[in-house]
Amino acid sequence: MRRRPGIGGLQTAAAARDQYRLLGENVAKIRTDLMKEQLATFRSQLEDFARKHKNDIRKNPAFRSQFHEMCAKVGVDPLASNKGFWAELLGIGDFYYEIGVQIVEICLATRAQNGGLINLQELCSLLRQKRKGSREAVSEDDCLRAISKLKVLGSGFEVISVGKKKLVRSVPTELNKDHNEIIEVAQAQGFVTVDELERRLSWTSGRAIDALETLLKEGFAMIDDGHRDGRRRYWFPCVSSISSLGGSDA
Amino acid sequence: IHIFVAKIFISFSFISKNSYGSQLGCTFFSLQPVRDTREKQVQLWKELILDYCKTQKIFVIGLEEEFPLFSNPAIERSLTHEAREAFLAALVSEGRAEWLDKGHRKCLILWHRIQDWADIILNFVKDYGLENSVTTVEEIRSGPESRGTDLQGVDRIILMRALKLLEHKGKLAIFKGTSADDEGIKFSS
Repeated sequence: MRRRPGIGGLQTAAAARDQYRLLGENVAKIRTDLMKEQLATFRSQLEDFARKHKNDIRKNPAFRSQFHEMCAKVGVDPLASNKGFWAELLGIGDFYYEIGVQIVEICLATRAQNGGLINLQELCSLLRQKRKGSREAVSEDDCLRAISKLKVLGSGFEVISVGKKKLVRSVPTELNKDHNEIIEVAQAQGFVTVDELERRLSWTSGRAIDALETLLKEGFAMIDDGHRDGRRRYWFPCVSSISSLGGSDA
Repeated sequence: IHIFVAKIFISFSFISKNSYGSQLGCTFFSLQPVRDTREKQVQLWKELILDYCKTQKIFVIGLEEEFPLFSNPAIERSLTHEAREAFLAALVSEGRAEWLDKGHRKCLILWHRIQDWADIILNFVKDYGLENSVTTVEEIRSGPESRGTDLQGVDRIILMRALKLLEHKGKLAIFKGTSADDEGIKFSS
């Protein structure tokens, strides 16, 4: 029998659609409820875990990092506020606040040397030196978390990846693609020459010099005219590490 | 801290023979074209020069002579004459140095200002109870009492200036001694 789309048919179809919709919504609601319940379970388990392992979280950077990952997976941010359950339980809100302040201090202090661009490894190393004697060790992961909190405060901090390294920028000046490429080339030996940029990146000397001039002007690079080959070298403090003057030959 | 960090850098590369980590020190030996960077560089070198001269008891720098602070063989860099003159001129502007000749070939370094030297002499007089006594300029800088003090071996030009300053203040009197080049000093009470 052929179905005729009469009014009755339309009404039936509409009712059917409604029913499906209601059923769909119901299913969705059931799923959501289930998920909420699961999340609530996760959260309370996470809280139990945090209580039990409070000391480990405080003292062990690797453990702390994994804890953060777990939290992220269930949508918990222990650093979201300085008050509340997490902050009180773990006291780690203060920990990151403290690191954040120290990072700002270090970046300000080294700005004259590196123009406001420092590599993460060095920052972390200087931070550890600053915190010598403190019970809590810090990792690069901790630094990154503290910096992400700083960003929220709008303090102009940014972490950028250049080549194999992460650089922390503490000044508003942004680096463009050419600048990033130059810094990446500089990672090999700590410096670049115009020739090298022309060769490796197939740039004109004009393009190389323009980009280098900006980097010089911002204080991210310094010149060295003393090599016996007579070629000017552009050194980048942000790819070197001052604090790795380890061994004493003195 | 940045001066401190940079100083560690430079002093490390001076003290140590290995050039690792002192690569960046190369830049300290080239006059930086960017104004802000140059200012920091000048500031750094001014402090270095004063510290170095104080610890090594150097009073005069000859720009055309070799001066260990101005070269670092480990990284094969030396300050050009232009750079040396620029940094020393900055010290002169600040009153911490004086050109000894018009050609700017020799520079007197005042790691203590003349006023400071005068104070040191006054303390010296007090410590050794030399009020009202007579001595010579040479005695002040090489006599047994000077041993271990800043006064030992102090540059004559500097010493005479300080003494003249004190004479002007009535703390002592300078008079010609028995030999042609040895003045006598009488300290007031």
